Amino acid sequence: MDPFETKVVRGVTLRKDPVREACFTVADTDDQMISWPDWSDQSKRERIHRHMNNEMTTTEVAAQCLADFPDAPWELRMELARQVWDESRHAMGLYRRLKELGGRKGEFPVANFEWTVSSYIDSVVGRITVMNRTFEAGTMDLMASLPSEWRQNGDPTTAELLEAIAADEIHHVRFANHWVRRLCAENRRNLLKVVQAVRFLDVAQKALSPPPGTTNIVGVSVESAAQSAPINVPDRQLAEFTDEEISVLLKQHGLEALATGQEARA
Amino acid sequence: MDVKQRANSVGTLRFISIFLMETLARWIPTTPEMEVKMLLSRHVWRMAQQADRLGHRARELRAPLHYSRPARQDFMTALRQLAAVSDSIDRIDAFHDVALPSLAALYKRYLAETDRLTDEPTVVICEQALTEIDTMCRERKDWSSEIPQSRSTDSRELGAVRQAVAAAREVIDTSEAAA
Repeated sequence: MDPFETKVVRGVTLRKDPVREACFTVADTDDQMISWPDWSDQSKRERIHRHMNNEMTTTEVAAQCLADFPDAPWELRMELARQVWDESRHAMGLYRRLKELGGRKGEFPVANFEWTVSSYIDSVVGRITVMNRTFEAGTMDLMASLPSEWRQNGDPTTAELLEAIAADEIHHVRFANHWVRRLCAENRRNLLKVVQAVRFLDVAQKALSPPPGTTNIVGVSVESAAQSAPINVPDRQLAEFTDEEISVLLKQHGLEALATGQEARA
Repeated sequence: MDVKQRANSVGTLRFISIFLMETLARWIPTTPEMEVKMLLSRHVWRMAQQADRLGHRARELRAPLHYSRPARQDFMTALRQLAAVSDSIDRIDAFHDVALPSLAALYKRYLAETDRLTDEPTVVICEQALTEIDTMCRERKDWSSEIPQSRSTDSRELGAVRQAVAAAREVIDTSEAAA
């Protein structure tokens, strides 16, 4: 792996952001971002713009894995190459929708948190643990409710786009689950790399999470944005999380009753 | 071409496909324009698929599964020079106007030299690769309103890459040692 430039945000060393055009303002933390809780036209555009950049960032993480880990198993590299293509199509689909709604790239600030954390990790098993199995799985949870919210707010076109994206994301999580298990079974040292990656993610998330009372640059509280979405059990099952893993997540979200039901079905 | 020569060529074509896939992958986070990143991302998957098909074919030709064989030294030097290009326009031109035509020429040469019946599985792979190369070049044209346009005159960096690739006439290493 070639050496790379880093940046320090709130005491945590992260990988320096991928290159962006001058029209983009790149934020390090949520308080430097813009978002609105309502569904006004500008709020819709901001949501799409943010998602578009997230897809672009995921494209870059998967691409950097191909560049950084030439000795990774070929079948895993094929999955990553496919992911590069998928995420780029997602970004272009969202960009197309943004323009249809009268928006433009660079209209709102963007953050590349997922890149700065994932691409700092020096093992492929650690990166897919954090990028695919954690961030992408989190997006999968969010996607369970997002399309219906867009429909309720009068935009079935964006809802359909998000549903198509969500279907692709399931496979990105699934292949990471498959490969993390396989690589750890083949070499127990990989388990240590997974643990290191998860710990690093935990440190970064804690350092960058907004303190109580934090608002973004338009004065909206960013605490709610930091809360994770409810666990999307059906899609997590499709992505081959085990029933035990799903139960642990449900318990972490205070949904013990659902977790018990999950175990009963297992 | 005998079976060993076919395997050597297939291994080299695979090596070049992977080299180009990795080059594109390295360029994606380091190229500013979003549309260029997206265009290059599409090509990553195409190069990966070409490499994959060649890798499976290699085993059918008595070489190891996913056998990769570096090209001759001159061509390797040219490839490294291409990978080091840093400007967005130069990257677009270096890939579409230099790397892809060079790769297409290798596939065409293979098709001209092999026996199209006994080596038909490789022929199918080569023809599919040529179609995909055409598609990649067409996509670059289709996206022309979204991506930076070529300069009327090559930059020094791009000109040097063109020269290096053109000068490396022999690509397949036929020496026994590399097999």
